[in-house]
Amino acid sequence: MIGRGFPKAPRSYICPSCSRSFKLQSRRHATAASPDVYDVVCVGGGPAGLSLLTALRSSKATSHLRLALIESQDLERARTWNLPPDQFSYRTSSLTPSSLSFLSQIGAWPNVDTSRVQPYRHMRVWDGLSSNSRISFDALTSEPPIASMTENQNLSRALITSLDDLPIISLFDKTSVADIHLGPPLSFPAESPTSLDLSSYPHVTLSSNHTIAARLLVGADGVNSPVRTFAGISTRGWDYDRHGVVATLKLPPGTGHSRENPQRVTAYQRFLPSGPIAFLALPGDYATLVWTTTPPQATRLKALSTEDFVAMVNAAFRLDVVDLNYMFTLDSGQVDELEWRESVHPGNKADLGGETPQHIASVQEGSIASFPLRLRHASTYTTNRVALIGDAAHTIHPLAGQGLNMGLADSRSLASAVEHAVLHGADIGNEIACLDRYNEEMWMSNNRMLGAVDKLHWLYSATSGPVVGLRGLGLRTVDALGPVKGWFMRQAGAL
Amino acid sequence: MVIRPTTSRNLSRLLRIPTQCRSSSQSSSVNAAEVSHFNNLASTWWDPYGSSRLLHQMNPLRHDFISSCIESQPDPTSSTNRRYLDVGCGGGIFAESAARLLWTKSVVGVDPSSQVISVAKAHARQDPLLLEPGRLEYQNKAVEDLPIPRIPEEQFDVVSLFEVIEHINRPAPFLSSCLPFVKPGGWLILSTIARTWTSWLTTNVVAEEVVRLVPRGTHDWSKYINEQELRRFFRAQDGWGRDGGLKSQGCMYMPAVGWRMVPGGEKWGNYFLGVRKDSTRS
Ligand SMILES: Cc1cc2nc3c(=O)[nH]c(=O)nc-3n(C[C@H](O)[C@H](O)[C@H](O)COP(=O)(O)OP(=O)(O)OC[C@H]3O[C@@H](n4cnc5c(N)ncnc54)[C@H](O)[C@@H]3O)c2cc1C
Repeated sequence: MIGRGFPKAPRSYICPSCSRSFKLQSRRHATAASPDVYDVVCVGGGPAGLSLLTALRSSKATSHLRLALIESQDLERARTWNLPPDQFSYRTSSLTPSSLSFLSQIGAWPNVDTSRVQPYRHMRVWDGLSSNSRISFDALTSEPPIASMTENQNLSRALITSLDDLPIISLFDKTSVADIHLGPPLSFPAESPTSLDLSSYPHVTLSSNHTIAARLLVGADGVNSPVRTFAGISTRGWDYDRHGVVATLKLPPGTGHSRENPQRVTAYQRFLPSGPIAFLALPGDYATLVWTTTPPQATRLKALSTEDFVAMVNAAFRLDVVDLNYMFTLDSGQVDELEWRESVHPGNKADLGGETPQHIASVQEGSIASFPLRLRHASTYTTNRVALIGDAAHTIHPLAGQGLNMGLADSRSLASAVEHAVLHGADIGNEIACLDRYNEEMWMSNNRMLGAVDKLHWLYSATSGPVVGLRGLGLRTVDALGPVKGWFMRQAGAL
Repeated sequence: MVIRPTTSRNLSRLLRIPTQCRSSSQSSSVNAAEVSHFNNLASTWWDPYGSSRLLHQMNPLRHDFISSCIESQPDPTSSTNRRYLDVGCGGGIFAESAARLLWTKSVVGVDPSSQVISVAKAHARQDPLLLEPGRLEYQNKAVEDLPIPRIPEEQFDVVSLFEVIEHINRPAPFLSSCLPFVKPGGWLILSTIARTWTSWLTTNVVAEEVVRLVPRGTHDWSKYINEQELRRFFRAQDGWGRDGGLKSQGCMYMPAVGWRMVPGGEKWGNYFLGVRKDSTRS
């Protein structure tokens, strides 16, 4: 299916004159099923895939490449996505300053509806078990925000719009990958010595039965990447036995920080034994929730009435872990339970002068969802004529809000490797000449990030023992040491 | 540190030195040994983890050096429609890459070994771009066997000799026979390795004897040529190297980093040298 905004045309790396000769070539030797050859075939039109294509299109050196995108969803829906100002999608991500600079550089950021984006300059992180250990991150007004909360769909729409503005690309949406195989081997030397040899090119057969061949096949196809399977790339990792419960939270009218004092907007994260709960402000009186918890607790949360769900969220930012665990055992009635507990311990009720998020009033209807959390890392990002980016290459625990940022960093790195290759005459599908550069640049740094976030998860999953004391000490120490904290903050925003 | 890009390219060059000495392109009688040799080469030349890896990694620097030469001209030419002649093209690592550049009109690769030319031709078939008529052409010839161009249209903007001269018995006549192929205002570009104690240690002792990266005897250290010797040769050529048209640049392979240009490296290790044919002879 060819999308409206993406007229299909035979433009190519191969340049106009040679694409002609290539066609003659293939006509001479081809069977009826001779494939179309693209420079880059990207499977997956999520943030990683779309940003890669936008980056390739926006760079002068690579804008002539012949690109194809295969996406099983209907991209027209993503292109026309629109929500009223009082509704927010629950899939939101915190974009770091380097992601923003990449998106600006490739011309996509101006297409993001920034009235729906919420930057924050402050962060409060604390431990649910040793409540006096806290860490605060505060960026100066003159500094870039720590991160900017952006709905994934707002970003996807912007990326698709910028692709529409740029020269043509072949788009196969509402189309999934039916099969990936290598081209047929030549029966050397029986074939003409000048015939094209596509035996090293991955051939992608689409659900429409059409087959296209790729000089470089990019797997931006998410956690269960079919491209990764085709390339035989193994992954390492484990499931956390945790779910991420997400929701769009509504604050009491007029209490959102963003309206009163945009400079004060703060992100909150409390480490509970089952995992962290995070409150991330959105524009106006809205916020997004990311609550990592056990699958049974996630099921319980989703089964509660809206009021009881709200009470649980408010409790989770304030009450003792024991009290919270008790509230999880109730089928209903969390509202009354919280009210009673707050009346017994009035200290719990106060918002501690901005040290905890304000009480939330309600939850946007239909916005509660949950995702299983896991850690996966591909053993390599590249093989001959194949590169993996985004969640296809790595899946990370959301506690540091890095997943999407890492995917954007992959796109930036791969696009720049392709650019370098084109400027040096390399085959962009070749490992040494192009892809190694990407793998070497990203694999180690992503591995460090995956490892650090994984350690944080295990560190804070411990409910007792010396580690609880140590981690409190850790947070307090980091908080006391200005320069070290600065380093942490840069790491958080580094990707 | 100056690990010589010891590769099958060099190995093959060693193996084909007899052919080269005869200066003959008549090497078509295929015997069993040559076939198996060809098969060996075919599988390693383009193998990303094979012995040519270092050469593949060095290739971008060759383009960077050529660009820096052209950009340094007092009259930098608009860089479209460039014609290249790659002498000793081997399996085509440089020739293919030059042919893919947007500003390239055509590339001719010559090599006296028929086996490596077959490897080069077979590999070029993997890229529809390279099959465009006239874009990339391989000839199984020594440069001495090519017809000498008579008019500038038959000459080349860039004549390249990458990792070639250290394998030539008499470099001066060989270089002289390359000069007529360069267009006025064009460049002869070469890369090789200096004859110093460092290079003797790293290539002849470490690479061959200790690490056994390459078979013993791949390198003949006494054939290495120093940058000063090449400069002297080109300065003596009338009509070459005027207005800063003689440049050199050292480069070095650093483990875990790759190839880097190293100022001063031309004195003791791998280096590039470019010399320009004066654009107008006065
Ligand atoms: C609870 C939760 C909270 C998160 N919070 C954050 C955060 O705050 N910050 C952050 O940076 N990240 C966050 N993430 C992670 C982030 O959402 C992902 O990392 C990101 O969406 C990955 O993008 P992608 O483009 O790699 O993959 P995806 O978004 O998964 O896109 C893959 C695409 O491939 C398509 N596809 C798959 N298979 C095929 C096929 N066979 N044929 C055709 N198309 C196919 C799919 O339809 C899909 O569109 C969070 C994740 C979770 C679960």
